[in-house]
Amino acid sequence: MPLLIIGLVFVAAIIGAIYLYNSGSGSGTTSTASSNSTAARPTPNMANAPAGAPVGVNMLGSQTAAVTVEEFADYQCGGCAAVHPVMKELASAYAGNRNFRFIYRHYPLAIPAHDKSYEASAATEAAGLQGKFWQMQDQLFRNQAAWTANPNYRQIWSEYASNLGMDVQRFQADIAGIQTKNRVDADIQRGRALGVSSTPTVFVNGKPVPFSELNIASLRRIVDAEIASVASAQQSNAAPAANANQ
Amino acid sequence: MAEQEVPELETPGLRKLPLAAGVVALVGLADSVYLAVKHFTAEPVPCSLVEGCEKVLTSPYAEVVGVPIAAAGAAAYFIAFALAVLAAYGDGRMWKLFGGLATLMAGFSLWLIYLQAAVIGAFCQFCLISAATSLTLFLIFLTSALISKETSMK
Repeated sequence: MPLLIIGLVFVAAIIGAIYLYNSGSGSGTTSTASSNSTAARPTPNMANAPAGAPVGVNMLGSQTAAVTVEEFADYQCGGCAAVHPVMKELASAYAGNRNFRFIYRHYPLAIPAHDKSYEASAATEAAGLQGKFWQMQDQLFRNQAAWTANPNYRQIWSEYASNLGMDVQRFQADIAGIQTKNRVDADIQRGRALGVSSTPTVFVNGKPVPFSELNIASLRRIVDAEIASVASAQQSNAAPAANANQ
Repeated sequence: MAEQEVPELETPGLRKLPLAAGVVALVGLADSVYLAVKHFTAEPVPCSLVEGCEKVLTSPYAEVVGVPIAAAGAAAYFIAFALAVLAAYGDGRMWKLFGGLATLMAGFSLWLIYLQAAVIGAFCQFCLISAATSLTLFLIFLTSALISKETSMK
């Protein structure tokens, strides 16, 4: 009897863990509560800062990852829409790799042709407040042609939100809200600090990747090389770190 | 049967304590499984009561030699639960093992509370729940130890 109870609890714990793992994966929008502190101190090293520093960012992968791929993008930029599937593939290729994380940064360009970019960034953040950041980001990039020149773009976004099972009224209110604006501004500020001048700009551990290399084969090669170099550096640091934890 | 060779807990009332410990260990197990999964999916954890979950859960202290503390905690709570259940069914040796484990867990929790308060400077409510459950497990064992000491002195 006791072994039966223990076995049942073991199975329940495993099933619970699998359920949690499957139900939650995909949305990595952290709370906006601490995003202001990130915005206030943008430093060039933050992409690879010690774990704990990059709060309030849209991130996929391990928070304690040694290798950070950071993309600055604009929802009305054609190149960004073209690179979007590549970044998605990259993130899924390294999904579960504790050395890898992908951070998406808003960098809406203030140019007349990109009149809806800032608002689009806010819209994905508003979706993020309902746990649907990545889904909305995906929608906006994949359907860029459908809304980018459409005067009824807000209605189109609301349809995406509705299709994603979101509270549409709340979504619309949040787009104009200060919380989403702060989040977007924090990313822009960081982009400026890093000297981002065009989109998409992708950094791997702070090193910019040329646009011509923004394909899955090149990115994987760069990321693999970075993981290998970080892993060898970690080995030499392992001893003092272990002492500090004691 | 082998069960007869096992030293039984002295008073029947004592078995309620392992039972209570089992329930508390279940709470701790659920909490740490949740944290461990969130650690692996790198998802944010809701922090409604206290600020700074992100800071705590992404701190270098969230892992020891590559093992997430939450995962180690889940394993520890499961073992504690198993020992408590076996003890509730009368196996006194398991209760002693439980006591050792609960003491270790409570000690480790105190260390984690210290880290949150003094080193990281932020608290994470799910970590505090875990600290509360492991300290409760220890207190339950302490109570049973005191009761059995009293009864043996009579």
